[in-house]
Amino acid sequence: MTITYLILTTMKFKNNILFLLIVSSAIGYGFIYSSSSEIEKIEVLSSEIENQNLVDIEIALGGEKPNHYMKEFDPELAEAGELLIKEGKASYKGKNGSLISSYFNCTDCHNLVKETESLTDLDPQHRLDYLVKNDLPYTPGSTFYGIYNRNKYYNDDYDKKYGALVIDARDTLENAIQLCAEYCASGRPLVDWELNAIMHYYKSQELKLKDLNLSDSELSKIQASVKKGGQDKEALEVLQSKYVQAYGATFTGAKAESQRKYGEGGDVENGKKIYESGCMFCHKNSRVTFLNLDDDVLSGQYLWKHRKGYDDLSVYQVVRWGTYPIVGRQQYMPLYTKEKMSKEQLEDLMSYIKELAKK
Amino acid sequence: MKKELLLITAIISCTFSYKAQEEEKKIVSETFSNVHIINGHSTETLKKREWRYIISHRFGDMLGDLGGVQTGFGFDNAADIRMGFDMALTDKIMFGFARMKGASQPYTSLLEGYAKYRFLTQTEDNSMPISASFTTSMYGTYMNSSEDITSVTNFERFSHRLMYSSQLTIAKKFHPRFSMALMPSFVHRNLVEQNDQNSLVALGAAARIRLSKSIGIIGEYFYAFNQSGLRQDYTNSIGVAMEWITNGHHFTINFTNARGFGELQYIALTQSDWLEGEFRLGFSISRTFKY
Repeated sequence: MTITYLILTTMKFKNNILFLLIVSSAIGYGFIYSSSSEIEKIEVLSSEIENQNLVDIEIALGGEKPNHYMKEFDPELAEAGELLIKEGKASYKGKNGSLISSYFNCTDCHNLVKETESLTDLDPQHRLDYLVKNDLPYTPGSTFYGIYNRNKYYNDDYDKKYGALVIDARDTLENAIQLCAEYCASGRPLVDWELNAIMHYYKSQELKLKDLNLSDSELSKIQASVKKGGQDKEALEVLQSKYVQAYGATFTGAKAESQRKYGEGGDVENGKKIYESGCMFCHKNSRVTFLNLDDDVLSGQYLWKHRKGYDDLSVYQVVRWGTYPIVGRQQYMPLYTKEKMSKEQLEDLMSYIKELAKK
Repeated sequence: MKKELLLITAIISCTFSYKAQEEEKKIVSETFSNVHIINGHSTETLKKREWRYIISHRFGDMLGDLGGVQTGFGFDNAADIRMGFDMALTDKIMFGFARMKGASQPYTSLLEGYAKYRFLTQTEDNSMPISASFTTSMYGTYMNSSEDITSVTNFERFSHRLMYSSQLTIAKKFHPRFSMALMPSFVHRNLVEQNDQNSLVALGAAARIRLSKSIGIIGEYFYAFNQSGLRQDYTNSIGVAMEWITNGHHFTINFTNARGFGELQYIALTQSDWLEGEFRLGFSISRTFKY
């Protein structure tokens, strides 16, 4: 308006009709320009829709923006985040961090890649098979793969272990990371840049639309909805049914002695998979803990001998309860929830230990 | 000089090349369960970010002239006491520092510093059939110098207070229950008595039988080569021990004729004769921590 006024005054136009014509043309041109740029943007989105970040598509379809949503991405910071996760220590732009924990790295309990063929498969046996097949450890924690796309953490029974500490961590990823660093890893709270670095790493690993293995018809439907301008609850539901937004966590407690089968009828081969990819991941060569375990007769006899009862040496107890850090020995054993190790799998593990003890 | 540099570079390259290969293979763990066997060094090292505090004690002769009922089978006397602190730099390199009472043969108030490097680790596929480590130690005494100029503890120079040792340990775990080690050793003292020799070569051998995951029995013997026919008053050290391993603690109860700790004392200065009842009860307690 100011420009138009200036032009009018400068050129000393006094014809009101001409004035209105000029203003209308300008507004009309502006509208046309604006529409064409919007169309262009959607076309770009549509042509590369499979490579789009899932969270952006969800937002476009009317989904809620996560409270950890990040607009900017710094690959260098993400690299530092990866180092923090894998090695517990990193540097970034002259800032040298100290070790987060002397006892654990994140990767001692969490994988960084997907753990089942399908992103919705929560079957613990499928998870074990997939991990063994891909030479990955059978960890007690959920994978960090796709954690950026999740909205709930420390779910269900984790309050039994961490009490009120989980309240703020349940719906906020940053708080969940801090809880993990300080308490689960027996370490220290992260400073701002470290927390930011881990968030950037998570962002670098966020799910893309192509990760969901959508059928052609589902993909077309979502493409069409995005083209239309979004706000499609049905399409959003389809997307959200293709991956896990929150992992369940049920603490079963130690099985009562009267109900224990002590490996009777268990699958020895399956138990061997659990022992080698699970137990040995931390205990082999005392990697994380002082308790050294091998796939030998001595380890078998040790575990078999302590199978009864409810103390930390009983596999039935320690798998379900884990142990707690104590003064002078901060490394402890995390527990396996029902979702990560089924009752049958635990019996399979015992049947392998029984075999191992006989060697 | 260039040739020497090339040789050193080649050795370092081979070590690192082997290290890279080793990481891909499954290594054999717990050939022995602690940094020391009984007296000698095992091939075990602490892991990176671990430190350990160890207290070791040896009582007096159980039997013989100085033992028996009158001394409570040696419990009234302390032959030697060692308090040590060990720390790892990497999974294969560690160092330690200790203060020893000294077994008065002839030294007291001894300090020990040592560094150990495990340069070979046995692998499960037997592509590397043994584990091996090299330990080098330095000892010094801060006891008062004797006024008797004929005494070995009359320290005219500071260097007279210093002693050194090196030990190569080659070990193999033959079975989860059975391991053996050979320990060629070298001890040097700057000042010795007339009937003694400055440098000594010895060969040690040790075996461990594990009764269970936590309990093991160990035997160890060191033969000191007496090149010059001197050292008629000295004996070879022999020991048996029972060990108990827990989650972070390690206990041993041992019987040995060696009065003192450290290569300096148990190889070069042992004079007790096991057959005359001059052996003693000893124990060690160590606790490993992470930092």
